[in-house]
Amino acid sequence: MTDVGVVLGSLALRGPVLAASGTFGYGTEVPLLERRALGGMVSKGIFLRPRAGTAPPRIVETPSGMLNAIGLQGPGVEALIRDYAPAWAGWEFPVLVNLNGESVEEYGELAARLDGVPGVAGFEVNISCPNVDQGGMYFGNDPVAAARVTAAVRRRTRLPVWVKLTPMVTDIGVIARAVEAEGADALCAVNTFVGMSIDLRTRRPRLANRTGGLSGPAVRPLAVHLANQAAGAVRIPVVGIGGIATAEDALEFLVAGCAAVQVGTATFIDGGAIAAVHDGIAAYLEREGIASLEKLPRCLPRD
Amino acid sequence: MFQPEAPLVERRQVARDLFVLAFAAPEVAAAALPGQFVNLLLRPGPLLRRPFSVHRATEGRVEILLRAVGAGTAGLLALRPGDCVSLLGPLGAGFRLDAAWGSIALLSGGLGVAPFPLAAQAARAAGLEVTWVHGARTAADLCSEWEGDRVVWATDDGSRGFAGSAVDAVPEVGAILACGPNPMLAAVARRWPEAQVAVETYMGCGTGVCLGCAVPKAAGGYDRACSEGPVYRAGDIDWPALPDHLHYRLTA
Repeated sequence: MTDVGVVLGSLALRGPVLAASGTFGYGTEVPLLERRALGGMVSKGIFLRPRAGTAPPRIVETPSGMLNAIGLQGPGVEALIRDYAPAWAGWEFPVLVNLNGESVEEYGELAARLDGVPGVAGFEVNISCPNVDQGGMYFGNDPVAAARVTAAVRRRTRLPVWVKLTPMVTDIGVIARAVEAEGADALCAVNTFVGMSIDLRTRRPRLANRTGGLSGPAVRPLAVHLANQAAGAVRIPVVGIGGIATAEDALEFLVAGCAAVQVGTATFIDGGAIAAVHDGIAAYLEREGIASLEKLPRCLPRD
Repeated sequence: MFQPEAPLVERRQVARDLFVLAFAAPEVAAAALPGQFVNLLLRPGPLLRRPFSVHRATEGRVEILLRAVGAGTAGLLALRPGDCVSLLGPLGAGFRLDAAWGSIALLSGGLGVAPFPLAAQAARAAGLEVTWVHGARTAADLCSEWEGDRVVWATDDGSRGFAGSAVDAVPEVGAILACGPNPMLAAVARRWPEAQVAVETYMGCGTGVCLGCAVPKAAGGYDRACSEGPVYRAGDIDWPALPDHLHYRLTA
């Protein structure tokens, strides 16, 4: 059997496919899920306090994609610790918590509160949500702010710190290096692209939030490019995200220099999507005579 | 919850633009409760699944009611017997029925009739007397099929039955279940806050994960139409905050 395990810093994953934040709830909601294939899971984004989220309509389908503006609806960190983390402690794959704050300090506080909570294996610092008024993407498209948020989390935990980058930047390499310099263990590239869809009957944006984050196969080539740019800019591992629905999609990110991938929107359609991606990667390596995922030849910008 | 590849077994027209599709999906049919829905995936077709109320669920068949409003529904209407869809369900929390009510009205506008044949069967099985109240713009738009003990038709133009809104044609009954355009359901809520209504929203996953189908609550915050809903006590919804301008019109 081909070895598809990956090591990301101090975190060893049994497979390279993780469930992306916001598409998997807190891990208990996805129906007909095949857990055997999960390399890990990133929780729905959490803030210190509960948040109601944005007004509806929150989603609209677009060609080969979807726009969403959920606004990080969630119960707040105390409810997450009480209601979800205890279950995670018994799972056979690591769960990372997606951290969000309206200020640099809030990110640090969240990390401190969650550090040491059984079931919490690490953090994905979300500096890339396009649908919040404060924080989110506004930290992620400024290298100084991105570095400050990373440092604030790094100071408060020994757990792995991953940072999820926004594609809405001029040069993702600049942000990637700024985050790496402050001690991030890995980068996740990329979050959704800001988009807009207009209803010609009402002549208004279809989303109540006006804009939303575009995900799904529509963004995949854009995301592969950005993940490749990020991987070329840093030494820490990059986790590829963006429109992955099949093993071939995932392999594009892996060959582009990613150490692992996250599957998101595809899970909305099929709870078995992650298992299919996982199995397909193993089958590809076997077919190509590549002994392990680590030996898969990569194609970085400098190559 | 099940996710079979379900073949089309029947298609029939029930109004000028309304069609019933029946799929063979025995496990889903056996489990479906009134007011629940199924989430259909068509390949090739749109990216996401599309939610449909369970219209009927008998003899291993799941029926849905639809009108061609976009590429997805057009694709479903182009299916031929034996063609398969991926059918996820049953999903959501359906109607509550209580024999103590004695009688109920099933009040629908246009495509909102979708959940009511199954509800009528369950209500009669529970010993309730069922009045079927169905309205549309004009006679040709009325769904021709109905179930219950008696029927009240309503048309905006008076071409059949009561002239005006079906909401104004509801007789005295023990309880009301309603489904239709959100503005119609808002009118139901003003008159009968205790009525149970099935709302329409955009939906992403249909299973509670994406939080896309937010229903604003009168008490504040949001529910998920796919999980806590789609059936609500009418008075519990913040109607002005619930969109009534879906870019595709699920109902009349």
